[in-house]
Amino acid sequence: MEESEDVPKDFIKLKFEKLSVDEVSELVVSPYCGAVSLFIGTTRNNFEGKKVIRLEYEAYTSMAETEIKKICRDVRQKWPSVKHIAVHHRLGVVPITEASVIIAVSSPHRAESLEAVMYCINTLKASVPIWKKEIYEDEYSWKENKECFWANSEK
Amino acid sequence: RRSPGRRRRRGPAAEGSSPRDGGSMRCQVSVLYFARSAELAGLRSETLSVPREITSLQLWEEIVKVHPRLAVIRDQVVFAVRQEYVLLGDQLLVLQPGDEVAIIPPISGG
Repeated sequence: MEESEDVPKDFIKLKFEKLSVDEVSELVVSPYCGAVSLFIGTTRNNFEGKKVIRLEYEAYTSMAETEIKKICRDVRQKWPSVKHIAVHHRLGVVPITEASVIIAVSSPHRAESLEAVMYCINTLKASVPIWKKEIYEDEYSWKENKECFWANSEK
Repeated sequence: RRSPGRRRRRGPAAEGSSPRDGGSMRCQVSVLYFARSAELAGLRSETLSVPREITSLQLWEEIVKVHPRLAVIRDQVVFAVRQEYVLLGDQLLVLQPGDEVAIIPPISGG
């Protein structure tokens, strides 16, 4: 029997390949946990009446991983019973309905993992240096999360 | 314009004292451009020589001198210096050779 089963782990990955819900949830499953909570961010086909053909993501990869690690640290401070955390974010082209981000958290009881998943996605949108470009039929647009405090600032 | 002799006078003791000619000690930093800023600058990264001690706003102005098209996004960007966010303003930066300075337009992950 390996004692390492006890050790909480963070699984952080930025990758260009299609994300897998099975893979991400299996990373956080633990015999000590009765709950695994998941968030999947998928790409929508429309924005303000315009048809979205696809999304493209880019990242400041090294800093994005560091910022996600900080989020995991925060989660463990706020919800000490959280066992494992997995955050997978896709980069490059993401076709409509495919996942751009999957977050999974395990905990002994469900309240903590549900709250932690929400905290993860909300904080990711506010602090992780990843950018999304929406491609329409005739144009494209760099999106700005409303959570980003330096968007639309007027001086 | 400056002879090597004058450079020798700026030894370690000079650190912290106000530069007579405004940031004469310079260093090479690695500037990274992302998203819209990469489109406006026309590149993703480069090495620039900038004053070692400089406010974040002055650093922005140095970069805009090299890439004037960036001026349009001034009100929407922050920096990441050594991977820590820095607002454009009066914050004094002390840069080291090889430091990473990234232009960060509004983010949209998730």
